Amino acid sequence: MRDRLESLAERLARSSVVDRLVISLAALVTAVLIGGVLVFVSGAFASCRTGLELGGATFCYNPMQVYYELFLGALGHPLEGGWTLTNYSLATTLQQTTLLIFTGLSVAVAFRAGLLNIGTQGQLVVGGLATAVTVVYAAAVVPTGFIGALVLIPLGVLAGALAGGVYGAIPGALKAYADANEVITTIMLNIIAVGITSTLLSWQFQDPNSPNPQTAPVPEYAEIPTIPGGFGGGMDFSLLALAFAVALMIGIAWLFARTSFGYELRTSGIQPGAAAYGGVNEKRMTVASMTLSGALGGIGGAFWVLMVHGRWLENVPSLGFDGIAVSVLAGNSPIGVGAAAFLFGIFDSGGNSIKTATDVPPELVGILTGFIILFVAMPEFFRLLGRRYITVDAARPARADGGDAGVDDGGDDDA
Amino acid sequence: MSEPEPGTTDGTGPTAAVETNTAALDGTNSDLAVHLDGITKRFPGVVANDDVDLRVERGTVHALLGENGAGKTTLMNVLYGLYRPDEGRVVIDGEERTFDSPRDAIDAGIGMIHQHFMLVDPMTVAENIALGNEPTKWFGMAVDRDRIDREVRDLCDRYGFEVDPDATVENVSVGVQQRVEILKALFRGADVLILDEPTAVLTPQEVEGLYDVLEELTAQGKTIIFITHKLEEATHAADAITVLRDGESVGTVDPDRTDREALAERMVGREVILEADSDPVETGDTVLSTRDVTVEDDRGVEVVSGIDLDVRAGEILGIAGVDGNGQAELIEAITGLRLPDEGRINYAGDDITTWSRRRRIENGMAYIPEDRQERGLVMPFDLVENGVLGSQRSGRFASGGRIDWPGVRDHAEEIIETYDVRPPDANADARSFSGGNQQKFIVGREFERDPSLVVATHPTRGVDIGSTEFIHDRLLELRREGVAVLLVSSKLDEIRSLSDRLAVMYEGEFIDVTDPDAVTEEELGLRMAGQRPDGEADRHPNPGESR
Amino acid sequence: MTEVTTMRNSLHRARAALEQRPLAAAVGGVAAVLVVLWATPASWQTSTLRFAVPIALAAIGGIFAEKSGVINIGIEGLLIVSAFSAIVVVDWLGDGGATAGVPNLWWGMLIGVLVSVLFALLFAIVCLEFEADQIIAGLAVWLISLGLAPFASRILFDSPNTANITRFENVTVPVLSELPVVGYLLFDTEPQVYIMLAGAVAGWYLLSRTTFGRWVVASGENPKALDTAGVDVRKVRYAAVLLSGVFAGLGGAGFGLGTLGTFAGTGDTVINGRGFIAIATYLLANYHPIGALLGSFLFAGLNSMQSGLQAAGYAIPTELIRTIPHMSVIVVLVLVGRTRLPDAAGDHYESGED
Repeated sequence: MRDRLESLAERLARSSVVDRLVISLAALVTAVLIGGVLVFVSGAFASCRTGLELGGATFCYNPMQVYYELFLGALGHPLEGGWTLTNYSLATTLQQTTLLIFTGLSVAVAFRAGLLNIGTQGQLVVGGLATAVTVVYAAAVVPTGFIGALVLIPLGVLAGALAGGVYGAIPGALKAYADANEVITTIMLNIIAVGITSTLLSWQFQDPNSPNPQTAPVPEYAEIPTIPGGFGGGMDFSLLALAFAVALMIGIAWLFARTSFGYELRTSGIQPGAAAYGGVNEKRMTVASMTLSGALGGIGGAFWVLMVHGRWLENVPSLGFDGIAVSVLAGNSPIGVGAAAFLFGIFDSGGNSIKTATDVPPELVGILTGFIILFVAMPEFFRLLGRRYITVDAARPARADGGDAGVDDGGDDDA
Repeated sequence: MSEPEPGTTDGTGPTAAVETNTAALDGTNSDLAVHLDGITKRFPGVVANDDVDLRVERGTVHALLGENGAGKTTLMNVLYGLYRPDEGRVVIDGEERTFDSPRDAIDAGIGMIHQHFMLVDPMTVAENIALGNEPTKWFGMAVDRDRIDREVRDLCDRYGFEVDPDATVENVSVGVQQRVEILKALFRGADVLILDEPTAVLTPQEVEGLYDVLEELTAQGKTIIFITHKLEEATHAADAITVLRDGESVGTVDPDRTDREALAERMVGREVILEADSDPVETGDTVLSTRDVTVEDDRGVEVVSGIDLDVRAGEILGIAGVDGNGQAELIEAITGLRLPDEGRINYAGDDITTWSRRRRIENGMAYIPEDRQERGLVMPFDLVENGVLGSQRSGRFASGGRIDWPGVRDHAEEIIETYDVRPPDANADARSFSGGNQQKFIVGREFERDPSLVVATHPTRGVDIGSTEFIHDRLLELRREGVAVLLVSSKLDEIRSLSDRLAVMYEGEFIDVTDPDAVTEEELGLRMAGQRPDGEADRHPNPGESR
Repeated sequence: MTEVTTMRNSLHRARAALEQRPLAAAVGGVAAVLVVLWATPASWQTSTLRFAVPIALAAIGGIFAEKSGVINIGIEGLLIVSAFSAIVVVDWLGDGGATAGVPNLWWGMLIGVLVSVLFALLFAIVCLEFEADQIIAGLAVWLISLGLAPFASRILFDSPNTANITRFENVTVPVLSELPVVGYLLFDTEPQVYIMLAGAVAGWYLLSRTTFGRWVVASGENPKALDTAGVDVRKVRYAAVLLSGVFAGLGGAGFGLGTLGTFAGTGDTVINGRGFIAIATYLLANYHPIGALLGSFLFAGLNSMQSGLQAAGYAIPTELIRTIPHMSVIVVLVLVGRTRLPDAAGDHYESGED
């Protein structure tokens, strides 16, 4: 046990985990800085009564205030008086964190298998509708109360996972058996998912008692229950759901690290040629990993229905797209997904605070997300910065590979 | 853009500098086309070139001889402007030059023919030749295709090349591609041509053709620098030979005045014996047999046509041939990476034609792949994780879908020790090892599967001499233990010394199957170029029925 | 699956045959177009041409970037920012007016293209200087644009949708517009359609007849060959990516000023995946600019047919009809299969590495 721990520590130290973490943090900070400049400058184009007068222009927005609302507003303003832990804003943050863990894992699983699943959004939309419809119809034949919850909630989650899984398997199969690029097919399938679900809704599942495009509500006992002392009713957040998400996260991490399937999935993602050599059926792996990815997206949809609204609504928030950002920021590591999901949970909840407390458009959050992805995609930028301003760079081994390549006579082979 | 004037820039004419003046070897002659003076080039942790001198006389073929890693290519990259030397001078035609990029070298009349051709496959021959130097018309608004065509044809006539300027490069043979590379340099007005291991991809007959080309070029006043690690080629083709060892020059010699043994010792720095023993061994049952196997490549072109072969327990069947004659696809069909379009494959009594790759592995088929960095190893994984590649679901290392990592670690460490992988660090990423050590790890992993069939493709390609001997010994040991071995290699000496029977593959078919000791290297070369054995027409060419 | 393969093979063969016999392809193409023109209503034809503008121009731009070895998946973002900024500029300068003697619509066009090129430059720097993963960087460009347009719109118009502007009017070419069958379509139409037609021809000429075109192809297939021939691969790739910004900018701004007149910024914005459809289009056309133009007619035709069906009040749910072009993209991708991407597409190239 002891030397196993030691070897783990050794691997952590040597591997690029630290490197990754630094790059992710640097990307976050850089994106926030750029966002701040953007907010400040765009303030000159907005109209307001009071603002910062500078060089003849009125700058309406104060970036510091915006970020105060974004980061602390998401926690319910802990520095102000009358703060309680179980406040509504923090509940929203954790609610979004929970959902983003599912979608982030969805993207990460596909990513690790070498597939860019942009379609988590569509898988979530489809899975959510399946959950709502299944629970609404099953509730008619299942006893109410605790027994009902015990049956309906797992059934609903399962329905979401199945529907999402099938919807994820489609681009997987198209990729494996027809060579159709999964980035484009999944983007198209997202748009198609909206069309299909709203058609199904108006055809069959529309709530007759509501003018809004939505399904009938699931019974109250079939919503994810809250636990005593946790976040109470009306906050649409359950610690049980978060616990389930975290457990799933650990489960996926375990799957990657310890199982044959995880090993094959990672190998396929890094070097498909080696995976085929090692006996992995690439086509099946493509379908399997996309199915798993879709199922996770579908579970996200199930929790969105069962925890947040208690029904499926036509206007689905962009949880799936944010899942891409979560996974990219997490370096596609399942555990990293947890931290990244919390950050984007803050963004979502803080976006609401920005909307109520300032005049800055909440789309700022989307822009920040884009910039974070952009900067995470270019680690070389931060390495160059690091090399310029940090002289001691002992953490990285000297680039032995580069040197080798130089003297290996061009890596030639003497055939 | 400077307009190239091929064929007119060198005013020397065909008779100018034909006679060879060996006095240049003493360094007294001033008629040097290239003079590299005290070149030193360092890479992090390594000195690739250490104070190297090179004097190349105009109108001669000058060989740069040395083992892999001796610094030949680095030196030439310095001359071609790809690297800047840390110390030393580059003198061209008596004038000191500094090259910041290949562009500068090209302007100074230097052309390089890389070992891996620098050609754009989907473009035509003419387009490739003119690339980067296209003459234009209509004030630069359009490429002047007629003029390119004319000039390319002129060049071909002048040097006697038979090349179709309108053919697409991916459709012409390797020998023609090499001529295209040479034409590309001539089109840019090169007077000095650097050829990096030009014979590596050619059949013996194509090599002869290359020698003729070199002769024609020097006859017309061009200067050739010929990089090689093959002694015979250097002594055969060159007027002078400079030997490099470990980044240092160990002298320039006149091939007519030096014997080959001395040259070999100079090159390697010690005596070399490369003689693997392969005494005949009692063979057992047929382990692998294919009947009428036909395979298409990724583009749907039939590259393996009706191959029959048998490999028995305790024998090595070698497949010789120039790369790209269907060997790779045949092996992929046998090992389960590619479905044959026709025919059957039998292995240990079972028809395995449609078996999955995993099932073949589980049934004792070991495979040393051609490309160790694409297939054989997962480069960012450490050796522990690589040690289980292929066995990740076998009962030995996994149960209930879980991998027994401590067991895998022990296994990897065992391979590292037994097969002398250096440095002996199971936690290091595969990519941090040298090619030879990567190969030793793969060989170890595959041999330790307790196989009944070993498929080995180019097992010693790019591997240093010590590891090569080791891998050969292990292959022969397995054969003694009664394992069937299918060996693919384009190294003639390797395949001749190891194989019990030898099949020559050409354009998807077996041209001949023989006892390797019964044919000379020349005969083998002819067969690799597609010539069927004379007077043996009655003998069926398939090894499956030749016994 | 075998039927798909058969269809795919015949498609590939037909495509190869067309490329080998350009004259036959041109004659056949003209004949086919005439038949279609004869058989379809004029309103559908004109609206197809207009809907084709962003798809065709974005596709041609994408061809240059991808041929040079940089996969520009952010082209959707370029369409968004150019359409949005063009409309904003026109609104700001004054709808229907002129500035410095030039109609404001054309100033909008210019600024739209410039903004698109600016974003393309950002993408190029990120990919070529900092070795970013091209696909992820492209997604980032899309997401940034997706946030930026409605963000700016809320500041300027207090709504995710911009104000309305007066769109381009038809420009009629005398005499030619009187030509039978094609006259009203090609010579009595809006400026952005002329730009699209000219852009396709210019793109084809640039790619296949000029030195730059050859360098672009070499840079995507074997950058090392180009490098050793003394051409700076990085400059070629910069030029190609910026050119993709120019084309996408023309497409986005032309679409915004000629067809939309207002920019709706909710959801996927009014661009609604047209940039991604453009990518499918050039894959279908096997990187041929004229082919991309024709391919864009396919998707644009479905798009305008969908509008027609909706207007005709068929009982098919509108939401489903709206996804017809997107479903057809998937069908097309399945039929095309794996297009042979340029060998070095997606790879960073560092000169001098060995």
